Amino acid sequence: MTEVHDARIAELVDLAFDYRGYVTVSRRDGSKLVGFIYDRSPAHLEMFDETATQRIRIAVSDIAHIELTGEDSAAKAQRIWERRKGALEPSETSAWGDWQERPVLFVVALPQELHGVAAALGVRARGSAVGGRIHGATAVAVAVGVGGGAAHVIAAEQPRLVVSCGFSGALDPALATGDWVLASSVHDETGETIAAPELVLRAARRALGAGPHFGRLAEGEILCATGIAATPAEKRKLARPGRLAVDLESGAVARAADRAGIPWLALRVILDPIDLALPAFTRRPAGSYIVPALRHALGGPRAITELVGLARRARIATRALADAIGRFAPVLGGVHPEQAA
Amino acid sequence: MGIPVSQMLAVARYVTKQRILGRERYPLVLMLEPLFRCNLSCTGCGKIQYPAALLKKHLSAEECLAASDECGAPVVSIAGGEPLLHPQITDVVAGLIERDRYVYLCTNALLLEQKLDEFTPDKHLSFSVHMDGPRAEHNLSVCRDGVYDTAVAAIRAAVARGFRVTTNTTLFEGANPERMRRFFDDMMALGVEGMMISPGYSYSKAPDQEHFLRRERSHRLFSQMLESPHKEWRFNQSPLFLQFLMGKRDFECTPWGNPTYNLFGWQRPCYLLQDGYAKTFRELMEETDWSQYGRASKNPRCQDCMVHCGFEPSAVDATFRSARAMGSTVASMVTGQL
Repeated sequence: MTEVHDARIAELVDLAFDYRGYVTVSRRDGSKLVGFIYDRSPAHLEMFDETATQRIRIAVSDIAHIELTGEDSAAKAQRIWERRKGALEPSETSAWGDWQERPVLFVVALPQELHGVAAALGVRARGSAVGGRIHGATAVAVAVGVGGGAAHVIAAEQPRLVVSCGFSGALDPALATGDWVLASSVHDETGETIAAPELVLRAARRALGAGPHFGRLAEGEILCATGIAATPAEKRKLARPGRLAVDLESGAVARAADRAGIPWLALRVILDPIDLALPAFTRRPAGSYIVPALRHALGGPRAITELVGLARRARIATRALADAIGRFAPVLGGVHPEQAA
Repeated sequence: MGIPVSQMLAVARYVTKQRILGRERYPLVLMLEPLFRCNLSCTGCGKIQYPAALLKKHLSAEECLAASDECGAPVVSIAGGEPLLHPQITDVVAGLIERDRYVYLCTNALLLEQKLDEFTPDKHLSFSVHMDGPRAEHNLSVCRDGVYDTAVAAIRAAVARGFRVTTNTTLFEGANPERMRRFFDDMMALGVEGMMISPGYSYSKAPDQEHFLRRERSHRLFSQMLESPHKEWRFNQSPLFLQFLMGKRDFECTPWGNPTYNLFGWQRPCYLLQDGYAKTFRELMEETDWSQYGRASKNPRCQDCMVHCGFEPSAVDATFRSARAMGSTVASMVTGQL
């Protein structure tokens, strides 16, 4: 590195440090990082990534260039003030400013899935909705039933983030009960594919990928079907390369959130691997499967064994769901509606 | 003086201990900024101009309490941003009180009345309400109509429920001394425990760059405002600091006196300047080149600064350094004269 280069980088670091907006740091290996620089020394600079969820330390010797790419918040404030000089905001302006606390909304289908979310919130699930706080963020979880109901819940809650979560069937043979599936996109049977907002996805990926957990984390497409794929043959028929799981809700949630301009995430836990057949009663959507399960048990020892196995898998999946939400919780504070894009 | 005796004794005990231990530098007030987001955009504020993702972020209650444990200062001033927007602010306050800290929760009071139920009156807790002057001046300073009246209503409600309430007033070029004297009367009539006043710091990021007070102008303004103080006036500040504002005394800045902790870490060197961040309080105290700050350093950013966070600790330190200064402080407290 030449002295001229060193001096130029030192000057850029000082400039970026004083800047109240995002900068793009190009490293000598060709990679780029976007974030907010809050500290610097002759050897390093420290920045938050653009979701403000991760602190990054970069050696000054690795930096090839820095550009001031984001809007300068200080200059913007000064412009606004200049423009309205002397004119006051009306007294009716909300006392919360732009910061009315909007909850994180967890949308599930079944009461059993609600238990997993409630466990992560540290509350008990009673009825079809629970509320609580998780890492300082207000959270609401609603069981909307199999297949839908997401749009009106989103409209009512006006959340800052919607998380579609719950159980799903595996379409990838590598996935087992309790594995997590993070949707990079959701595809439904109308042919529409909705890509997950990248910033939220990235934050979730990082949170879920950190530290050991008993299942694996896979990321890819989730298929939102209109009917339950109960048999291995039905599931194989739906499988495609990159398509990991099938559920009945994520499409409706993603579409409703996307249209409302609210960031969303689909996080599913595998209940039934691709080669496992579900009991026939699961084909009929129901608010609760207790009565159909009891009826199924009357079918004899084989049916009872089948039920016991399913209950065990449901327990594993419930724990995995609570674990996933618990891991994702610390980054919830950094998620906001601007990240819907 | 409006500071309760128990708080004065706690601070006196703490300062005496530091002096006995021979500590050259020690913190007096922790400036805790648990968040940067605010529900107002004031003309002279350079604290909240950050990208949205950072504004939406806040320190957890655990992080706030850990910072207080690390710092050890007997007084904690919770600033921001607007602390009442913090979702765990009651946990933060409760945790600090549990640690025997005296807490000043600085607020613009827009949310105070609706949040009062979440707090319990305690001698350790004071709501420090931002009031930059009479109705017209205050509303202009916060750029919103009606804020003065909302704050007055919140003060009345808090006082009626037994909370300690103080006001904090930042003054800018153009302040009218006579109107400010009437404002002091009005605030005391509301039943506040005391008032805090300070010239504004010339933040380079603040929207209005034209109305920051220069040093000589500050002396003139504060002399006019505080000369022959009315006997009802109570200031929640050291009389020596007020005399410094009036130009009757001179102090050097004590930038480590009010260390600041926020999302980025321990702010170097002080509440007003952002020359970087230390990861620990110890690193802040031991690795900051303090000789670069204060008037004597010739640092241009320090030359006009007379803000309380740098000079109130100097005044308190001076009080304990000589019998004469202690005598002057006591005399001022007894007579109310400055």
